[in-house]
Amino acid sequence: MIISIIGIDVGGTFTDFVLWRDGQRTIHKVLSTHPEPEIGVIEGLEELGLMRGNILDVDIVHGSTIATNALLERKGARVALITTQGFEDIIDIGRQNRPELYSFWMDTPTPLVKKDCRLGVAERIGSRGETVRLLDISQLDTLVQKLKEKNIDAVAVCFLFSFLNPAHEQVVEKRLADSGFFVSASYKILPEYREYERFSTTIINAFVTPLVAGYLDRLSTGLGPDLSGNLRIMQSNGGLASAASIAKQAVQTILSGPAGGAVAANELGKLTGTRRLISFDMGGTSTDVGLIDGNIQFTTEFNLDGSPIKIPMVDINTVGAGGGSIAWVDAGGVLQVGPESAGSDPGPVAYGKGDKPTITDANVVLRRLHPGHFLGGRQRLDTEQARRAISKLADECSLDMLSAADGIIRIAVSNMQKAIRRISVERGYDLRDFTLVAFGGAGPMHACEMAEATLIPKVLIPQNPGVFSALGMTVSDVIKDYSKSTLMRQDALAAKVLEEIFTPLIDTARADLALEGFDSDSIELETYLDIRYVGQSFELTIPLEDFSDGFITAFHKMHEERYGHSSPQEEIELVAARVRAVGIRKKPDEATTQKSSGQATPILTTKVYFNGWHETPCYNRENLFSGHKITGPALIFQLDATTVIPPNWEAMVDAFGNLILQVKVKR
Amino acid sequence: MTFISSTIKTDPISIQIFANLFASIAEEMGVTLGRTAYSANIKERRDYSCAIFNKDLDLIAEGSHIPVHLGAMPLSLFATARHFDFNPGDVIILNDPFTGGTHLPDITLITPIFFNAQLVGFAASRAHHADVGSRFPGSMGLSRTIDEEGVRIPPLKLVEDGKMDKNLLSSLLQRMRNPKERLGDLKAQLAANEIGKNRFVSLIEKYGLDEVNKQINNLLTYTRFHTERLIESIPDGSYSYTDYLDDDGFGNGPLKIAATITVDGSWATIDFNGTDKQTEGCVNAPFAVTLSAAYYVFRCLLPPGVPANGGTFLPLSIKPPRGTLVGAAYPVGVAAGNVETSQRIVDVLLGALAQAIPGKIPAASQGTMNNLSFGFVKQDGGEHTYYETIGGGMGAYPGKMGLSGMHTHMTNTLNTPIEAIELSYPVRIVKYGLREGSGGDGVANGGDGVIRSIEFLADSTVSVLSERRVNAPYGLDGGKPGKPGRNTLIRNGKATNLPGKSSFEAKAGDIITIETPGGGGYGKPSS
Repeated sequence: MIISIIGIDVGGTFTDFVLWRDGQRTIHKVLSTHPEPEIGVIEGLEELGLMRGNILDVDIVHGSTIATNALLERKGARVALITTQGFEDIIDIGRQNRPELYSFWMDTPTPLVKKDCRLGVAERIGSRGETVRLLDISQLDTLVQKLKEKNIDAVAVCFLFSFLNPAHEQVVEKRLADSGFFVSASYKILPEYREYERFSTTIINAFVTPLVAGYLDRLSTGLGPDLSGNLRIMQSNGGLASAASIAKQAVQTILSGPAGGAVAANELGKLTGTRRLISFDMGGTSTDVGLIDGNIQFTTEFNLDGSPIKIPMVDINTVGAGGGSIAWVDAGGVLQVGPESAGSDPGPVAYGKGDKPTITDANVVLRRLHPGHFLGGRQRLDTEQARRAISKLADECSLDMLSAADGIIRIAVSNMQKAIRRISVERGYDLRDFTLVAFGGAGPMHACEMAEATLIPKVLIPQNPGVFSALGMTVSDVIKDYSKSTLMRQDALAAKVLEEIFTPLIDTARADLALEGFDSDSIELETYLDIRYVGQSFELTIPLEDFSDGFITAFHKMHEERYGHSSPQEEIELVAARVRAVGIRKKPDEATTQKSSGQATPILTTKVYFNGWHETPCYNRENLFSGHKITGPALIFQLDATTVIPPNWEAMVDAFGNLILQVKVKR
Repeated sequence: MTFISSTIKTDPISIQIFANLFASIAEEMGVTLGRTAYSANIKERRDYSCAIFNKDLDLIAEGSHIPVHLGAMPLSLFATARHFDFNPGDVIILNDPFTGGTHLPDITLITPIFFNAQLVGFAASRAHHADVGSRFPGSMGLSRTIDEEGVRIPPLKLVEDGKMDKNLLSSLLQRMRNPKERLGDLKAQLAANEIGKNRFVSLIEKYGLDEVNKQINNLLTYTRFHTERLIESIPDGSYSYTDYLDDDGFGNGPLKIAATITVDGSWATIDFNGTDKQTEGCVNAPFAVTLSAAYYVFRCLLPPGVPANGGTFLPLSIKPPRGTLVGAAYPVGVAAGNVETSQRIVDVLLGALAQAIPGKIPAASQGTMNNLSFGFVKQDGGEHTYYETIGGGMGAYPGKMGLSGMHTHMTNTLNTPIEAIELSYPVRIVKYGLREGSGGDGVANGGDGVIRSIEFLADSTVSVLSERRVNAPYGLDGGKPGKPGRNTLIRNGKATNLPGKSSFEAKAGDIITIETPGGGGYGKPSS
């Protein structure tokens, strides 16, 4: 069967498209059109010839930053919080820790719910799910009245212990929904213990969903009735969901774009037989790194700008360093890079508007970016302006211009390598076992220096590094996560009990996937248990193969691996049950590329600075085929990125058109 | 840039790169400790720190979540260096507050690092252990002498030539509650030191010993440079301030803490003359705690991004007189010196600096950690204890309101979720919210304190160690003080006030309410 699918990733500067049709892959880029990104999306689709009314069979997979931006810029719905009386401030106090340790003052992000919109109602559920104080329904009319007076759009309903007994939340949820509010109830969004994290996740959902739903509505209108039925959205958990379900739970899309990159890296690993990968996605303002060990790693400890989001998400570490990061000299005469960024406006000095030197400007000065071959000629590079800005900076710290430019890149790499160490070395991994997959506009330019700084022996640059996240979206499955908190000791955990806990979760999962068009043959279910030793306050997530007690041994073993010790004689307890339901989609085949005949031919040769000027051949990526070998120094140009190969490195093109980079073997 | 030409003999690029490299070592040590530790106090509340030093005992980098550990680690090292000739394969253990420790629950392990049989540096870790054999479960009760607070360990070789001294280990552990957990936590500290040692050695293998030592010296000079510029920005002169602890829990108080900061060019001296003598209750602060508080204050004033290392300590001279509240000497108790007195020392130093550099110093924060613990006997006869500290109001800063309901200054430990407490202990939280109006008024208001009410569902033994129940956190520049805290017990519908420091038997149905202090306001309020 021939697959027709398009992945669309809306980024800060560009909207990327990857189209598979008739066995062919086409990539495309248009400028993003914030604050109405649907215009750019439709425009790109038109340019690809998909909006003519006759092509109706294309699946559309979309990564969106609407929810992320709404949260970061605090531009979401007017939200009210309905919570247990006496606990209205939990969302404000959080975990009582301040964000900065060594500062006398600190700015905290604007709360998503204003103080006068945090309303308590008399009710209380106890720690065994019992009703301590019955919800007084007569309060609800006044409540609705108040919400209307305050012009509230969306309401988060968050009661203590609702994960054990949702009765009170359900009553309030229904009453408010009947009155026309968008309602987000904590027992539905995250039925797990730890009230602050549950409330925060639920409030974020209420805050971002109306905005995302509005966007999806406008996008669907633009797509027309036929195509809009094929629209799916990339979620933070690395899976897809229907536009309709995201219009209720947009909190699932906070890491939509980076998740696409993680999926793409994972697929690339499988395709090339590489088990352990570090993904290195460097863009204009930020860099995302992730770890793959046979599979994508997940976390439930994500925190965006001070707000925890405790749903499962791909484990991505983001640092605020990108091509636009600004270099400066501090009072001690020491060169610093970031965290301030020139962003896309004004952008690097070389783009013509800015006046503060950036990482990109350093690359221009070192001639690692070529004015004639940058972004396919779409962005002009003013080398003279870049040189002037870096020279000025160099004067401030008594360096020459080239050393300063070189230093900017070394410092940037040194800052970014901390993020890689955090997700690998600090979790017990040895980076010498890994391959670095570099993508994003700036990833391939710094990949070799990053590999040297982290002792990663090998670098892999995919065929289209600049649209890699969009590519990942086209090869994703539909994934839905379900969980249920249930505190239970080891001796109570008979197979029958486990079955009783899991059955309702599994039934819901199957029903939800059936609604998205999956029959039982294309559904895979994974079950997990969150377990800890009695008395501990942290859990491990253990895969549950069947309802036998094999998970107990598995827990002790994982505890040993993760923490260096285990206590098999000690009692354990179950904290939560989890189900991950995967609706398997058919994937396009990654075709092998044409075999090379003879040597790769450079399109030009130029001087590039690598600790001294080197005569450097430059290649067009389009002219590189399987089997081609290139020795550094070299530059490789393509529409969406420039790959830098330093003098002591060499590259080979593999059967799928990827570049494999390694340090030259000494002969 | 006079700085580069006169002091730093390297390019301005390597500084950043080596600062990152050393910071990574300390951070990896910390992650290893947190990851492999047994007890919730270390894993969940993150009450630990790690650091590396050069052979001259200069702090190179530290990974710390707890400011009160900051100045204490170097003192542990000095104390150790006086006692031993180091050999490869040694590990030193200590917790004695009178020889480089802070309070007994904080146990420190020090590993000397060798390269080609030459001493090149040290890796050190410190963690707050849940129990060190005090008369009081949890080792944080109202004690009268150090001997009531648990096992006191002077610097001793726990490991020699790679071999653990099993006799020493078992003699220490058998005097503590839950020795298995203690051993697990100590092993986590050993693992952290091992990581620090190995990473330091591989750095030397990669760059060479001379280059590494050169870069260390550059980093120390760099941080010292920034600290000296900071001190120079303070006008020359002497600045004094006095503030008080409410009491010591045994009827002694108010207790005076006085400090004079003298600035002379790029040099500052901190003198605590006039501070009261050490007292009967455990609010006495050892030297190391006083140092930590002083370093904390100056570190907060440094520009962000300047690496924390021994360079901060060099232009500061700190003189806490022996036998006083800020220089505790044997045999007094010190358990609360770390958690309560440390906060007041910060208040006093900030009060003095506010006269020197008004506009850069905040009003007083809540000035206490509001330690609450309770123990009860379970149906199976086992004894269980619960311990928490409660946040409060942060002092206002010029143009910035103080944050509400936060831990301030010398601690930053997390709260325990209500649903987690109620699932594990026989209590119900009745209210947890901000104490509105408790922050002092000002052009910028102080942050509000917290109200936390807990109903006991079973008979329990309760201890409260809190401060600022009488003396309010001060406001600055005409700003009003924050409201003092208040502890109340409701029994059979009748409310009675509890003192700031108390221990009592609660009955099922009793409700204790802790209202934490608000922060001081900044600037004279308009109305």
